Amino acid sequence: MFARDLTVTDLERLHAVADQAVDRLQMDEETFRAFYDRTARAVWTYAARVTGDTAAADDLLQEAYYRFLRADRPLEDETHRRNYLFRIVTNLLRDRGRRPRAVMVQVPGDHEANALAAPDDVARETERRADLARAMARLKRRERELLWLAYADGRSHDEIASALGVRKGSVKIMLFRARRRLAALLRQVPTAERTR
Amino acid sequence: MNAVECSRESDVLDAVAAARWPDRLPPDLAAHVAHCTICADLAVVAQALSADHDAAWSEAVVAPSGQVWWRAEMRAREEAMRTVSRPLTVVEGFAAAAVVAVLAAVLRVAWLWRGALWPRALPMIGPLEAMALGAVGLLLVVTPVVFYLALSDE
Repeated sequence: MFARDLTVTDLERLHAVADQAVDRLQMDEETFRAFYDRTARAVWTYAARVTGDTAAADDLLQEAYYRFLRADRPLEDETHRRNYLFRIVTNLLRDRGRRPRAVMVQVPGDHEANALAAPDDVARETERRADLARAMARLKRRERELLWLAYADGRSHDEIASALGVRKGSVKIMLFRARRRLAALLRQVPTAERTR
Repeated sequence: MNAVECSRESDVLDAVAAARWPDRLPPDLAAHVAHCTICADLAVVAQALSADHDAAWSEAVVAPSGQVWWRAEMRAREEAMRTVSRPLTVVEGFAAAAVVAVLAAVLRVAWLWRGALWPRALPMIGPLEAMALGAVGLLLVVTPVVFYLALSDE
């Protein structure tokens, strides 16, 4: 539509349509903000650790909450909403479809470093994170999702099944296989240490 | 089929969660883990991921909820308005195509009738002059349309 062809009636109609779109969002602003504050960090850490990319996690976070708000299905309670949100994130991760871009290792910050007893602890902590990041990068995306939800986020098999869109009965065996792979990778001594 | 779970998994997870792993384990659990590959794997994985979760949690810097809401609201408005205005754009495109088709049909008819009309209507004009006249006529029709389309993008 050409901007100069718009009449006042057209503009009023467009504004009304836009207002309706906002009214149709899953929840009002206050409810959303409270829900976001309860869930955003969990969503971000999940996305960051599965992708291995914090910038991608930032983008996924915004997109996931937008899709959540635009959901046209009723979400009855907190658990349902939370599972649905993680399902959206999982789908976005699948659509993204790439392996971790690089092994992401953060050196412990000042606050964490102070909590560690000695410089050796900081080095050990950094090394431990690097080992885990490398091992996670060698797993399949689905395995990373499963393991993170189960052992980092502490989700039940029901919640994992709902978040990943798989049967509950499959979670147990999938988790067993993923766990065995990661444990084997973590037990491997890093090359640098072997050559020392 | 090999076993994929152990009845003591929850004890291992509790020990990891309570930071009792590996130094402050109850002796019976320590003895069990030494012989159970499922629990041994679980302990290694749960301990690594639990620690990493704490680290990730502290390094996570998420956008403020107000900002995420505002962006979502803007996007919902924009998408709704775009959806409403799309049919008009289609109609406009259709109308432009119809105008071009009518113009082409008129030119075609004029071309077919040129032989019948020529000697009586324009006895003094040759084919070259007639083509020039046609071009000027076409320019007079097309120029305002082009100007309209160009300026309407503002």
